[in-house]
Amino acid sequence: MRRRMVLGASTLLLVSGVLGACGGKDKDASDGPVTIEFWHNYDAGSGQVDVLEKLIKEFEAENKNVTVKQVYLEWEALKNNVVSGASTGTLPDVLRGDIAFVPQFQSLNVLEEMSALSDYKDAAAGVLESANSTARMGDKFYGIAANTNTKILFYNKTLLQQANADAPKTLDDVWATARKASGGKTIGMVEPWTGVWNVGPYIWSEGGDVLAPDNSTAQGYINGPIAVKVIQQLADLYKEKALAGSSMDPGAIGDTDGWAAGAYAMELDGPWREKSNKEAGVDYGATPLPAGSKGSISVLGGEDFMMFKTSDDAHKKAAWAFIKFMTSKHAQVEMAKVGQLPVNKEALSAPESIEAMPLLPVFSEALKTAKSRPVTAKWGEMENIIATKVAEAITGQKAVKTALDEAASEIDKLIAGK
Amino acid sequence: MSNMAGKRSVWRTDWRLYTLLLPGLIFVAIFTFYPIGKMLAMSFFDWRIGYRQTSEFVGLENYSQVLADPIALRALVNTLMYAVVTVPLQMALGLIVALLINGITKFSVTFRLAYYFPVITSWVVVALLFRYIFSNQGLLNYFLADVLHVVGEPVGWLSSRVPALVVAMFLGIWKGIGWNMVIFLAALQAVPKEYYEASSIDGLNGRQQFFRITLPSIRGTLLFALVMLCIGAFNTYTPIAVLTGGNPAHQTEMVLTWMYFQTFNVTGKMGYSAALSIIITLIITSITVILFRTLARKGE
Repeated sequence: MRRRMVLGASTLLLVSGVLGACGGKDKDASDGPVTIEFWHNYDAGSGQVDVLEKLIKEFEAENKNVTVKQVYLEWEALKNNVVSGASTGTLPDVLRGDIAFVPQFQSLNVLEEMSALSDYKDAAAGVLESANSTARMGDKFYGIAANTNTKILFYNKTLLQQANADAPKTLDDVWATARKASGGKTIGMVEPWTGVWNVGPYIWSEGGDVLAPDNSTAQGYINGPIAVKVIQQLADLYKEKALAGSSMDPGAIGDTDGWAAGAYAMELDGPWREKSNKEAGVDYGATPLPAGSKGSISVLGGEDFMMFKTSDDAHKKAAWAFIKFMTSKHAQVEMAKVGQLPVNKEALSAPESIEAMPLLPVFSEALKTAKSRPVTAKWGEMENIIATKVAEAITGQKAVKTALDEAASEIDKLIAGK
Repeated sequence: MSNMAGKRSVWRTDWRLYTLLLPGLIFVAIFTFYPIGKMLAMSFFDWRIGYRQTSEFVGLENYSQVLADPIALRALVNTLMYAVVTVPLQMALGLIVALLINGITKFSVTFRLAYYFPVITSWVVVALLFRYIFSNQGLLNYFLADVLHVVGEPVGWLSSRVPALVVAMFLGIWKGIGWNMVIFLAALQAVPKEYYEASSIDGLNGRQQFFRITLPSIRGTLLFALVMLCIGAFNTYTPIAVLTGGNPAHQTEMVLTWMYFQTFNVTGKMGYSAALSIIITLIITSITVILFRTLARKGE
């Protein structure tokens, strides 16, 4: 018995030794050639990775001592790799990822504070302020906008015509049109998820909010009268089979397939819908989100560039140079040609960008009033609570007010907690 | 003392065996025992996985969080329901198929292959197929509504908790029959023919033979299948992940899909997930022990 314990203990020691040795990452601290690692999720299918490779070559030609090693990871893998790499320090030098990653990664203590860089202000002045607000936590910036997007209302012209409906002009019109267009196998609206990404624009446009402006509480906001009224509206639509979505009903047809099949008449969605509808041959129109009683306030999406604490100074310097290159007018116009909505102000109004993205003016219009979701630690967890409770409310498992009250108290518990 | 000396001599004579066992032991230690030990430790901490972050010891906080979480409990109930329904049914159906195939002389291989086919196909592929069949505008609703006209509007097979779980169970059973069939067939073929001959002479009919000879003879295999399938049921992930993603509003979560969600969708609730894992491990271990105690004893 004792033998076995000795054996077991020595094995454990051996194991911990081996695992301990795996950590760490060799870095050259000298001023010599530097290779920076760049993780991203540019879409290969629409040619974005090809453009990226071309841009990297140009950047490397301008910066002889820097090599950029680009690594594609799809959305979830991108996040998981940072999460699992955080404890060992196995992280890239630059990452281009969802704006929602900023607070999540910041809570892992891995992000470099970009606003501490001497010329951050100059670089940030060139990009859209609203888009860059997604990288701000408190008065510090932990990233810089890479590209932006927001959601506009897409509608299937054929289906609206069949229902004798015009393109909606107000938010109330949207609900009425959704009801009118529904029937048979057609469903008026689709919302694939029930997070703030989805329900936020409706609540904001009616003058409500999900958290207090200083993110100190959800009480009176997500369960305030305006939010309750909006979610009740969605619950009614769902009951009347005028609203569908896979997180409310896993049996519902997915939004992209549904558009192609002519199952959905309207969706508030981003620039990718333009591309997929074109490919599916859908006859569609688009307009900024029709205004509610307090205006048309859509939600900001997009990606930010981030840098990591784990890089040494030489790598950080090269990484920052690369980021500035990627947010320059030239790089942003090139990316616009393959479907990335620019954040660079000059690129946004460049004729080449508009030619490549016919809906760019509509998006630019929507971007003027679009709002970012709260950038606060644990936001991911908060949005999941909201998504769950809103889905419970919409599908009728709970009364709307009850579900949203629960959401408010759960979120406040998170805010009060560690 | 004498005992000690005896052990020492055993050690000396068997050192070659121990040396041969060592690489495997090291492998298992690194990839199984170390992670389990680490996870047990994590379950008592507010485990922070960030860069140079320190984790705070929180005692049983994670466990009380799991036990107070209505979604975790619902996931546990869903998993238990899945186990209670799918395990006996796939064993019974697998046994019936095995008995039928054991009784035929021609085309035995063809039938075995046909029934085993679902086992070797990918979980993801068949789960996707099931989703296309059972979705609102899927194949089944097409037949029911457009071809047979038995329902007015599509049935939401995947739209709410119980029907969606039933679809997942159906998938689990369908995919599991083949495995049970192969295991039971091997056991059936090992039952000595003499038993049946002798019992026929004694006047036992087919049903009596099944209950008095066949079942007792394959008891060990039945127990093995039962334990493996119970463990398997607790490891159910893919069918739910593909069919419903745990939706709507986490109504159809299994313990594993919920654990994955807490670990990766909500960044870094590692302590919570570790506690949930430990609780599941305890449940599986107790089920296995109880099954062995109650069923294996009787066989002796």
